[in-house]
Amino acid sequence: MFEERPNGATEFAALRELLVGPERQQLDELADRVDAVAVTPHLLADQLPEAIALRASRDGQLGRALAPTIETALRESIRRNPREVATAIFPVLGPAIRKAIAETMAGLVRSINSAVEHSFTIQGIRWRIEAWRTGARYADVVIKHSLVYRVEQVFLVHAETGLLLAHVTAPDLDVPDADLISGMLAAIQDFVRDSFRPAEGGTLSTFTVGEHTVHVEAGPGALLAAVVRGQCPEVVPQRLQRTLEQIHLEYGSSLGDFEGDAAPFASATTLLEENLETVLSTDRTAERGARAWLRWALPLAAIVLLAGGLATASWLRWRRAVRLIEAEPGYVVIDASRSWRRWRFRGLKDPAARDPRAVLAALGSAPPAVAGDWKPYLSLDSAMVVARARRALAAPPSATTALAGDTLRVGGSASLDWMRTLRTAPAIGGVAHIDASAVQATLPARIGELRRAIEGTRILFEPGSARVTEAEAAKLRGLAASMRRLADSVAAIGASVRVELVGRTDPTGTDATNQSLANLRVDAVIRQLVASAVPVAALEGRPVATARPLAAADVAERARINRSVSFEPVVSIGTAPRGP
Amino acid sequence: MLQKKICMVGMFGTGKTCLVQRYVHSLFSVKYLTTVGVKIDRREVQSGGQPVMLMLWDLEGRDEVRNINPSYLKGAHGVLYVVDGTRRDTFEKLFEIRDLVKHTIGDVPSVVALNKSDLTDQWTLAAADERRLGSEGLSALQTSAKSGTGVEAAFQRLADATVAPTGAPR
Repeated sequence: MFEERPNGATEFAALRELLVGPERQQLDELADRVDAVAVTPHLLADQLPEAIALRASRDGQLGRALAPTIETALRESIRRNPREVATAIFPVLGPAIRKAIAETMAGLVRSINSAVEHSFTIQGIRWRIEAWRTGARYADVVIKHSLVYRVEQVFLVHAETGLLLAHVTAPDLDVPDADLISGMLAAIQDFVRDSFRPAEGGTLSTFTVGEHTVHVEAGPGALLAAVVRGQCPEVVPQRLQRTLEQIHLEYGSSLGDFEGDAAPFASATTLLEENLETVLSTDRTAERGARAWLRWALPLAAIVLLAGGLATASWLRWRRAVRLIEAEPGYVVIDASRSWRRWRFRGLKDPAARDPRAVLAALGSAPPAVAGDWKPYLSLDSAMVVARARRALAAPPSATTALAGDTLRVGGSASLDWMRTLRTAPAIGGVAHIDASAVQATLPARIGELRRAIEGTRILFEPGSARVTEAEAAKLRGLAASMRRLADSVAAIGASVRVELVGRTDPTGTDATNQSLANLRVDAVIRQLVASAVPVAALEGRPVATARPLAAADVAERARINRSVSFEPVVSIGTAPRGP
Repeated sequence: MLQKKICMVGMFGTGKTCLVQRYVHSLFSVKYLTTVGVKIDRREVQSGGQPVMLMLWDLEGRDEVRNINPSYLKGAHGVLYVVDGTRRDTFEKLFEIRDLVKHTIGDVPSVVALNKSDLTDQWTLAAADERRLGSEGLSALQTSAKSGTGVEAAFQRLADATVAPTGAPR
């Protein structure tokens, strides 16, 4: 077996050569070719993206493997040229930082709000009063007073050269030196940076000139400056920041290659114009545009308020109408109801009561249709009794009527004819007696004239004397004739007349002397009149002496006219009290 | 319109501001120079067949070159060096200033204004000095802010150089 082994191996090799010889040769050739194929950069470049994508889709191995290398590369890149990296990530970094800041600021604003809410300044109190008066929220009043601003100009300035790239202004503004201002803005940025040496990237972001505030947002390639008049809210710089980022995104290469030609930036004015804005205090609702619900809620509230107001006014008017009818004499309201177009009343109504429409005229405006279901009744309300009596007696407007218990007192003036009808008046519900003693009879014109003539006559005396002088005696004779004619005329209409003689003295002397002097004067005149055929029964002496003196401006004249007897005719018509 | 930033540099009292005043109508007060350290004016010129707006940054002159603020040089398209022809030291310092400019913003077109040429009796510069400028690659010409001589030419030469820098004086 030992000797056979080499021979066996040789034979096996021969056998293998015999069996798989050609295939083995092919295999060797393939091995040679595989060894010859090197991984060339060209081949790798073709395959690499696909290979990376393929591997990355399988697991995270590739990411883990590359992470340290990328970190190192990034660190090296930043170390060598931080500006380049900063420029590249500037548009991405802005929004991320802003979001974080916005969240922090929101909390801060809330705490400031609560501080403002509890502040106790004079202005705070004034705004608080305004909020209380107008019913607005306090915070809304504060916003109303603080949110008034206008973005008047926006400059886009090339950061490195300070040259003006684009400039927009509010419609009514003219700024001829925008390019110089642009240069100075850049220069001032440099000046501030050199003077105060702020931390990396620090810039002058805001400065105030009178009522103008200039906001400057600085980017790596350009500055964006806005001139704002009035109170500038936080939204303005935020919007500027966004615009600047957008400009860096869209014009990044133009900014880098800038050689003084601003033409490529002409289209940026649209972006700048988005920052121009005028917000007036009256725009404050528009300012809160996000709260769109206000747009429909406010009109709706107004409509609801209006409808509520109208309904309330209508209800109040109805209540007043019911009260008016209830208070009206001659009405008893049993039921009252209303619909949209009609008011309905049911109850009792005295035939003498006023028409319901006349009662409701007190409402001012025309009431809707009024339907009444009234049953007649006799009201004992004094106003109704009086109204009923006036109607039954056909009382003239000059006669007054009033009810005292069950007695109707008639006053004022009335014709003698009407006064006579009172004696035969019909029965009146609620009236037991008619008292017409206070009525002044309206006399025929002739009687009136005679009466006035008699009233106008005055018999004068010498001081301390009761002797009727000759001149006065002549006056008395004329007076006696007038009295007789008056007596005749009055008798003709069935009435009687009596004349009161008022005897007066001047204030000289004692009361007793004057009283007796007045008596003497009255008696003297009566004697003369009786002598002139005036019946003594028609005369009535009334010596008042100094009690009711006649008035005159002059003392002497007053004394003279009071040494007299004057005449007051009284016409009386006998009316008998009567029952119903 | 094409805009070009031109910086006026030179030692204290060389007449930079007077040159600008002579050349443009100023908007800003001279006070800016001492407060901010720079004053900006503008003048429109024709160069290369097109209008060009020169934004002239008048940098405050200092006694020492190291005190000149390099920030304002940033982005300049051209530099106008101003030398007081009656004060030799301002000429000597010119090269130091030129080095500072070169270091800050690189090689940009420039012109040297040898100012106060009206004061001939006090003139301290010789033909050799002007030749030295030429050998240093600096284009120079005499100017007088007082009489106006050479002022337009100096700015025009610089404007042309900034608009078409190739082959222009450096």
